[in-house]
Amino acid sequence: MIRFENVVKKYNELDKMAVDNLNLHIKKGEICMLLGPSGCGKTTTMKMINKLIKSTSGNIYIDDKNIDKVDPIKLRLSIGYVIQGTGLFPHMTIGENIAMVPKELGWDKARIDARIDELLELMELDPKVYKDKRPKDLSGGQRQRVGVARALAADPPVMLMDEPFGALDPITRGKLQDEFLRVQEKLGKTIVFVTHDIDEAIKMGDKIAIMKDGKLVQYASPAEILSQPADDFVAELIGGNGAIKMMNLIKCKDVLRKLPSIDIESESILALNLMKEQGVRNIIVKDKNHKVLGYVRYKDAFKNQNAPLANILNEIGETVSPGTTLKEALSLMFSMGRKAIFISKEKGSIDGIITMDDLLKAVNDDDQDEDTLS
Amino acid sequence: MMTKTKIRSADIRQFALMTIIVVILAMLSYYVVNYPQDKIVERFISYERILRATKEHIYIVAISSALSILTAVPLGILITRTNFKKFANKVLGVVNIGQTIPSLAIVALFVGVFGIGAKTAILALWIYSLLPILRNTMVGILNLDESVLEAARGMGMTPFRILKKIELPLAMPIIVAGIRTAITINIGTAVLAAFVGGGGLGDLIISGNNINRWQIRVLGASFPALLAIFVDTMFAFIEEKTAI
Repeated sequence: MIRFENVVKKYNELDKMAVDNLNLHIKKGEICMLLGPSGCGKTTTMKMINKLIKSTSGNIYIDDKNIDKVDPIKLRLSIGYVIQGTGLFPHMTIGENIAMVPKELGWDKARIDARIDELLELMELDPKVYKDKRPKDLSGGQRQRVGVARALAADPPVMLMDEPFGALDPITRGKLQDEFLRVQEKLGKTIVFVTHDIDEAIKMGDKIAIMKDGKLVQYASPAEILSQPADDFVAELIGGNGAIKMMNLIKCKDVLRKLPSIDIESESILALNLMKEQGVRNIIVKDKNHKVLGYVRYKDAFKNQNAPLANILNEIGETVSPGTTLKEALSLMFSMGRKAIFISKEKGSIDGIITMDDLLKAVNDDDQDEDTLS
Repeated sequence: MMTKTKIRSADIRQFALMTIIVVILAMLSYYVVNYPQDKIVERFISYERILRATKEHIYIVAISSALSILTAVPLGILITRTNFKKFANKVLGVVNIGQTIPSLAIVALFVGVFGIGAKTAILALWIYSLLPILRNTMVGILNLDESVLEAARGMGMTPFRILKKIELPLAMPIIVAGIRTAITINIGTAVLAAFVGGGGLGDLIISGNNINRWQIRVLGASFPALLAIFVDTMFAFIEEKTAI
């Protein structure tokens, strides 16, 4: 979708290169995070896409069209642009702000009005309340939402975002990030997102492009960057607790271990055999109506082979949904004082289990697997 | 911008002040015309004379201010365009120095070049009142929030549309403040027109001095002063209406 080919930017003949021979390919529908310390060239890189900054040499293609051959005004009208501090027009209402690009494109009034309402609703702002307000009457988070809505106004396939959530407090920022990801899931835009916040990059990015001194140091998925940093600079950028950050990235549904289930009336030896067969250390116990009653551990079943299952039944305890991140699951395990947690999509059913060992395995690359029986 | 017109207490105050000024000027004229201190004043003063001097005064101020606005605002806009922006600070420096030259000096200088008459007075006032308007236009545009302009550029607005839709509306209160300063100063400075045969309320002051009658002096002094306050109040009202 967006392709950089040997792109160089020099602000001044004598200066060092702000962007140094950049090659980058951003796929359609992906969020590409440009990450790096200030002065690394990430903002310059982004602004070359809508020609706010002209590249010194090299080519940039959007949809295989060289942007050199596109009129800058036309190009920008087809690219959404969100900046830090929103850049909302203070003398216009929220509605007028959002209507700006559609107006430039010559949409009729009815279509613009409908679009404003649609976008405000998408960003969870009630059009009736906010449409005629001025930016100064809104909170920082609301203003940033309007900034995103304005960029989305003409439904551009590409969005450029320059630290859009940088000026917000951490709680609002987290909320807006979640909301934006939800919106992106629906819209599937190709997004170039500049940030200096590694956590934001990991959370939001399909890919992260790490830059240093105008050069692309590593371009990979967040998981790959966390597990295989290209060099010391990237490793340092990630910080010491890469494993913890990795847990933010992985959902329970990606690592959960499916468990067999057994009727409460069955004999322990049967449960034991099932667990042996499937190589797991726990089994779900259900009643006749397939309602989950609890679970039985392998070692208990082994010790009490002749006892009824009801005697060695354990309670399921608190469960988490499949979409929960490993970090949240871990924190819940700590607070419950357990070594494992069950995953449940809906009440009364169990999708699987995650143990401490699974967590370790998910964030490390060693192959040891203590949970399976050998 | 003026869609929601609400009457506020400030509006009423301003309106009241403007009314009071008109009433004072009318009463003052009535008093001097009907109760002159002696025969000389009686022969000298008349409603026609006051009205003519006032008209001349307003004419000089209006023409010179209009010329100023028509030249200084476009010039200020031009200097703030990307191509000329690098000169903006130098121009502002020159403007600020120009402002320190006494108005009388400019009027005297212009007599040397253009001779006497209202035209010379108008030219001198035009040049003098260019400066505050030019300065405010430039400062108003240059001090706009950069993120707003960047957003406008990044969205795909053309430079002309940005000027029309963003820069001018946002800088308008500051530009209007410059115009207000210029016109208020002009009303005061325009009494100098009388020295170069340009007429206006300055005539009353000079005549009052020549015939040494306090009534004429007071009349000649209060008219421009109160007119200046009147116009200033009027602009305060406009400024509040254009504020964001």
